[in-house]
Amino acid sequence: MKQERISIKGWIGICSLILALLIPFLVRINTYILTVLIIMFVFIIYASAWNLLTVSGQGSLGHAAFFGIGGYVSAIVANSLGLPLGATILLGGLFAAVIGLFIGFTCIRLREWFLAMVTFGFAVIAHTITAELSWITGGWDGIPAKKLISVTIPNYLLYEYYVMLVLTVAVLSIFYLILKSKMGLALEAIRENELEAKVMGINVAKYKLTAFAISAYFTGVAGALQIHHFGYITPEIYGVDISFWPIIYCISGGLFTIEGPILGTIFITFLDASLKSFGFTYERLILIGLILILEVIFLPRGLVSLPAKIKSWLKVS
Amino acid sequence: MDISLFAQILVWGLYAGCIYILLAIGLNLIFGVMKVVNFAHGELLMLGAYAAFWLYAYSRLNPYLVLPLAMLLIALLGLSMERLGFRPIMGTGKLNEIFLSLGFMYLFQNLVAYLWSTNSRSVRSPYSSISIPLGAIKLPLDYLIIIIITVVFLIAFQLFMKQTNLGRAMRATSQNREAAALMGVNVERMDMLSFALGSALAASAGGLWLISGQLVDPYVGAIPAIKAFAVIIIGGLGSIPGAIIAGLTLGIAENLVPLLMRFFMELFGISMSFTAWKDTIAFFILIIVLVLRPTGIFGEQGE
Repeated sequence: MKQERISIKGWIGICSLILALLIPFLVRINTYILTVLIIMFVFIIYASAWNLLTVSGQGSLGHAAFFGIGGYVSAIVANSLGLPLGATILLGGLFAAVIGLFIGFTCIRLREWFLAMVTFGFAVIAHTITAELSWITGGWDGIPAKKLISVTIPNYLLYEYYVMLVLTVAVLSIFYLILKSKMGLALEAIRENELEAKVMGINVAKYKLTAFAISAYFTGVAGALQIHHFGYITPEIYGVDISFWPIIYCISGGLFTIEGPILGTIFITFLDASLKSFGFTYERLILIGLILILEVIFLPRGLVSLPAKIKSWLKVS
Repeated sequence: MDISLFAQILVWGLYAGCIYILLAIGLNLIFGVMKVVNFAHGELLMLGAYAAFWLYAYSRLNPYLVLPLAMLLIALLGLSMERLGFRPIMGTGKLNEIFLSLGFMYLFQNLVAYLWSTNSRSVRSPYSSISIPLGAIKLPLDYLIIIIITVVFLIAFQLFMKQTNLGRAMRATSQNREAAALMGVNVERMDMLSFALGSALAASAGGLWLISGQLVDPYVGAIPAIKAFAVIIIGGLGSIPGAIIAGLTLGIAENLVPLLMRFFMELFGISMSFTAWKDTIAFFILIIVLVLRPTGIFGEQGE
């Protein structure tokens, strides 16, 4: 029985991968759609990274800080040292991971509320510090960043799409392996009951810190990818909404699972993009805020849990 | 560096501290009764300021007079937040409560931006040009009124909590929810009341913030919220005297530290302004306190 369900999930995964590979040929190539899809891939990486930290029971409200740090470090290093973007993006992630470790050191002893306050505050403070260090970061105006794929190449967005697809699949495979490994089990045990996990011989501090560092690393990478797609970076990258996005993605898809963040990101991205194309601005953000509230109340396990829920409703009626 | 400058900083610190205290006490009350930290508390401050602004704009009364009505409106909003949002998910885990309050934060910010644009709003207080000479320094009348209002609110709040049956029931609920329920306290009503009172206090902070000449836009709530978090962590979750001491300390520290930094840098011949760093001070204090004492300075038991 269990074997069968895994294979159904596997088939869905393979089909969606094939679909992702073919999409540029199925729909008429359109810069807007491609841009939306590229940003969607970035946010799948970002949401999955945030999800990994949440698996360990540490709900961060300020992941925009790591997103922005990764972006700024990558942009600054690429501009000043002229290193290839492949190296600077990894460097941005590394820097975010180091900062993440420092924040993690403060946070591992804290309960959920304090952790949320510290991370929330950290994003706002990172915003101020970046804006103030204007001789490095360009202040409020920001700085230009190199494009991931040079604009001069014909169909550069198409290349970018496939680069992002490959990266996303690679990062998701890493997260899959982590969640299926001993570490994934340890993180879940810590989330369910930290004291019991400790009694069972799990090194809680080590696993929580590792989760923080890995999560910050991939968040930094996602941030760097995003700004190298747009070609510029400003302190707005630290905004509350950037911290908010992975949370809404993961909750609408399904927390603590590998497929939840992917599903949630795709669902919200399409909702957002279609509302945007109708000319809604703040209305769509209000709607997304409402969706988060309603989902926390009525569907806390996300869209992933919807089939099981419908099944149980049908049984009752 | 003369003494009047320090006295002036003391005045600014007292005034800013009052706003933080009003915000932090509301947070503390809600946390005490429901064991929920409302991350949208800064947005209640912002909404309180907007309510005061619109009531003033339509009525053209003295802005201080519209404050009670603004507080009432936001109290009703807080009450419905509790009733419709937090009550259904009570007991399903702290992460859910955190995410829910984040959802409210996002909703309120964008709703206000949608309804009233992102332009900054301000109100000119009728007393903005009056200040009381106190020796070498000047104490703006608005600051004095804000300090007096805060003291009055604090005394009224303390009397309510200590002297009335309702206040006693609230304190009982925050000490032991089950025991209070067994003694016949309607704990769910206490939840609603704590949210309404906490929201009213946040709205008063927002209204006073606006009247004292600060600009208000839909995103103005985040920074005061972080400061209120810092205040309740330094003062200990649930401790009212702790919140008062911590609020005043933070208000003074964030005006004093940039000045001291400037003097310090001038010793090395570098002239540099640190006023923009003001808002980061609360965060650094927060981190230092949490590293040294994960339960806060006055907090007895960690949550």
